[in-house]
Order: sequence, then structure tokens, then C-alpha cells
Amino acid sequence: MQVLNPYTLKEGYIEKVIKESENTYTFHIRTQEQAFPGQYNMLYAFGIGESPITIASKGSGYVVHTVRAVGDVTRHLDSLKEGDLLYYRGPYGNTWDIEKAYNRDLLIISGGLGLAATRWIFEEAIKGTHPIKKVIHLYGSKDTQSLLYTYLYEQWAKRAHFEIIVNSPSKEWKGKVGFVTDLIRDMSLSENTIVFMCGPDPMVKACKDVLREKGVTEENIYASLERHMKCSVGTCGHCMIGPYFVCKDGPVFRYDTIKEFFERKEV
Amino acid sequence: MESKGKDKERGGNYWLGTLEKNSIEDLFKNLTKLYKVYAPKLKDGFISYDWVSSIHELSFGYRNHESPGYYSLERQEGYFTYTHPVDSFKKLLRPSEEVLLTIKIKNNRIVFEDSAQADKVALFDVRSCDLSALKIMDKVYLNAPYRDKHYETKRENLFIVAVDCAFATKTCFCSYMNTGPHCKEGFDILLTELEDVFIVQVASSRAWEVLEGIPLGAVTEKHMEEKRAIEERVRESMKFGVNTQGLRDALYSKMDIEHYENVGKRCLACTSCTQVCPTCFCFDIVEITDTDLTTSRRVRVWDSCFSPSFATVHRFNIRESVASRYRQWLMHKFAYWIDQFGSFGCVGCGRCITWCPVGIDIREEVSRVAGS
Repeated sequence: MQVLNPYTLKEGYIEKVIKESENTYTFHIRTQEQAFPGQYNMLYAFGIGESPITIASKGSGYVVHTVRAVGDVTRHLDSLKEGDLLYYRGPYGNTWDIEKAYNRDLLIISGGLGLAATRWIFEEAIKGTHPIKKVIHLYGSKDTQSLLYTYLYEQWAKRAHFEIIVNSPSKEWKGKVGFVTDLIRDMSLSENTIVFMCGPDPMVKACKDVLREKGVTEENIYASLERHMKCSVGTCGHCMIGPYFVCKDGPVFRYDTIKEFFERKEV
Repeated sequence: MESKGKDKERGGNYWLGTLEKNSIEDLFKNLTKLYKVYAPKLKDGFISYDWVSSIHELSFGYRNHESPGYYSLERQEGYFTYTHPVDSFKKLLRPSEEVLLTIKIKNNRIVFEDSAQADKVALFDVRSCDLSALKIMDKVYLNAPYRDKHYETKRENLFIVAVDCAFATKTCFCSYMNTGPHCKEGFDILLTELEDVFIVQVASSRAWEVLEGIPLGAVTEKHMEEKRAIEERVRESMKFGVNTQGLRDALYSKMDIEHYENVGKRCLACTSCTQVCPTCFCFDIVEITDTDLTTSRRVRVWDSCFSPSFATVHRFNIRESVASRYRQWLMHKFAYWIDQFGSFGCVGCGRCITWCPVGIDIREEVSRVAGS
């Protein structure tokens, strides 16, 4: 029997590179691969290794990846240029279930680079093809220089309530200052709002607490998690959170299912 | 009692017979003609799986004594005079180092060489605990849609000769995990050593190739009684185990108890337990590159949830304390595993107890946590 090696890599041509900030780049990679919002690819750097990177968006014939140089693999990836070849495998993982937001309000919360994991489902939600009552997107960033996709804000703001808050802004910043939780506190939310969020663990936990105060239940909150991953198919054990493999059972989890493991220290 | 199945007619998939003690040599000879044989071998003062070409290399006539942090061997009359080797089939199916992919740069493009291939291999002398572990590993590695090609290639043609244990060591507790002491399924041939003969159970048609030309006798009720008596004796001799009744739920409700801190103070996080464990499957993938930067190998190596870097995300370690790593291991084996794969991840082989340098006994820790 012919068995496919799950570690075999695919080749993608880099059509476009956008510099987001000093250490963060966005790549458009040519591919015909089917993928859905919430999923990720394992991007490969020759001689260094792989890194799981969320699919930030998809256009016709290409996927979008945003990579921040924080480790050996990502530092190499950020040195790639237009016309280079990128090797990857995927897509892996589950997806944001947009139907959960049908006939309700959808609140998307993003923290830092987490915006890359929510961008595609946000774009999908504001296309106008899904029966969602209202789409709100709150985005928190540690500083002004790290803001992602600044070139898209104008068009987003036309189609949804899109708000940004920065924690340590530059002198020129005229927007709100603080944490993303401050934005949630200032919002009036309908009780059956569906929440999709992605950000650092402490942000997810803090947002959940504020949302609970606002009457949103944990069954209506979905979070995309980030963990150490090597295989991405549930066999290397690194990404486990309680009984779940983030790589294949996630990365998107309904909050109440992971709560007891996510909120407990060192699980 | 007459032989079961297609009676004495050879070729059936379920057949019971007897084998004269000295015929084991012919059986082994046939096996080595047809397969590369991986079997328990006496090496450096302990019994460990290795490639074996002659029956004289096997560890017949040695008995192992094991207790927490203790292992020794003594001479004893007989053939299968030991329990399981210090290591398991894991070494064969999931080697400690295994190339998943060889990547070469040619004309600025990357080309791959897929290295999965396997000889015709027979595992000789697998005990009940390890047969259960093999079944568990199959669930981990042969799950759709991403079947592990390297595991599957080695696993699919694997011929298995299982052997029933005639005694248990002080660290064995398979009867508590419902994985032994005697083998029920998952083998081609099963041998049970009696006083005068071996009982042979044939469970596949290819097993008959191995038994070619070997005289086999009829099994009597007396033989079966002796087999049952051995099983009962081995079961009875395991005095200390784990009460699995309601264990998963008890452990889920006790995740915050202080006892984990106590174990954390004794545990050296040396990873010994996870290396000898036949079901510990975690691995890391490291990249090994030639100095001329034209060839790179993606190598799968054993990893352990006790390693300090195991659960790091951008240098932030989710399980910093040793106590939390021990909890992860214990919870995985006895609780998470049930949700992931439908069974316990522990088969009661006791290797982790024997090979813990400070003698931490998983039976004791599980009982303390669950019973607290």
C-alpha cells in the first residue's frame, strides 16, 4: 500500500512580501491548496527546522502568512524575498466555525500577532455573505510600531466596527491607549454574542473574565491557542493541553472545553 | 482435549498444539531463515532487545529480579526464565534516531528523499504487557488521516512470536491494568512454557511457514490446566498495583493536590521512565545539516515531557517546575490517554519503576493522588 509521508514538503512561490514592522513580514505564497480560516501551515527553513504559522488570509491562488522573527526558523523566513521558493506542509488544524455566529453578533478580539489568526475569519465575516447581525473587531497591540496590516484598516472600518488600542504608543499616536480589555469594558454587548479571539494566553484569560462580567458565557467564546509543535499531526506530544492536542484538536477551542487546563498553572 | 480450530489440519488461523522443548531450536532456525529476528539478548549485564541470528544468543537461563530502582540477574534452569527485556519494541518501531526526510538542494530547489523502508522482521519473545503497548502505539501512529509512514512501514509486515510469562517481578502490575499476565491477541505464534513441553498457539496462516517441518503434538486438558495454573500463579504474585476503578475521574479532580510537589522534589527529571516506557511516544525533530549546506536531514529523536524545553513557546516554558512535568506524565498515562485513545497509556510493565534512579513508584504515586 502506498502511504504518504506526512512530513513531505510542498513548494510555494513567494509572489509578494510586505514589511509590517522591523521584524515582521507578510508573504503571499502561490498555492492551489484548499484551506480554511483558523488553519495553519508548517513553514520550513532549510537546515534549521519548521514553525507552525497561521494562514492569515487567502486570495485567489495564494495564501497569506505573517511571520515575526522571534526564533531561528522565523528569522530565516523573514529573510526571504519575492520570487524565492518557500517550502511548507499543511494545512493543519481545525477552523473557526462561522455558522456559530449566524443571526448573532460576532465579536473578534485580537492581541498582537494574534491578529494574523483572526484576520481571515474577520474578512470572511464582513464579506456580507453570512447572516451575522453585527461584526465587531477589537485589536490590542503593545506598541504602535508592531501594528499589523495598517494598509487594511480603512477598508475594514467601512464594513465593521473595528477598533484599536495601543499599550505603549508613540508620540504621534492619536488613538486609544490601554489594553484590549478596556475596549471590551466600554462596549455594550448583547448577551448572545459569539466571541472569536487570539492573543497571548494572559490576554485570552483576561478578556474571558471581562466578557463573563458582560454576561457572555464560556460556551460562546472560542480561542485559538499557540503551543510548541513539531509534528502537527498529534504524535509528538509537545502541544498537549490536558487531553487535547492543540495541533489537531485545535488550534481553535471552545473556551469551556479547555478552561480547567488553560487556567490551571503549568498544564 | 483435541486441538481446536481445524483440528490438527495445518493452515488454520487458530490452532493449538504442543512443541517439544528441544524443537524450539528448529522453530528459531526457521524464523531466522524467513526473517531478521529482534529478540531479548544478554548484553552488558541485562536483558535487552537486539538483532539475533542464533538461538544461543538469546537470554535463556537467566532470571531477572526487579524492584524500584533495582535490577539483577541470576542463573536458572529453563528457556523463558525472565520476564520482559529492559527495553521494548519501541526501539525497533520508533528508533531513538530516525531520518524522516532527507532534503537536498539542487539548482536552487529542494528535492526530497523519503527514507522509509523496512526488512522483513520478526519480533521474537514479546510479553503480554508489550503486546498491549503495541496495540496502543498502533492507535497513535496509524490514525487517519495522517498515518505515520515510518512506523507503518516497519509495523505492517512485523511477525510476532509472543511468550507467556511464568512469573512476575516486584515491579510488574499488568494484571491490574488488564493487560496480562497471559497473551490473548496480537501475535502470529504464542508459546507457553510448561514443565515438559511448550503449548503453541497459531494465530495466522503465515505462522505455518515458521512451523514448517516441526513435529507438533496434541494439547491435552492437562496441558491447559497447567497453563491456567501458571497464569493464576503469576497473577496472584502481583501484590501491588493500581486500582483503575474510577481512576480517570479521580485524577482529573485531584490535579491541584500538594502531593505533586512532593514527587517533584524527589524526581530528577532524568527522562529515564519515558525512555523505557513502551508507550511513551513523544518526539522531537532535529535538523542535521552537512557542512557544505547542500544536504539536510530531518531526524526524529526521542523526547520527553520531563525535558526542560519540552513545552516552551518562544522561550516561555509552560511547565517550568518538575512537579508539573511529573503531573503531566502521570495524568497523560492514566487520564488524558483515555480521552485521546480510548485506553490507559500504562500497560503495567513496571519498567519506569525499575529504572527510576530514585525509585519513584508510579503505582504508589497514582494511588496517593487518587486516594487523597
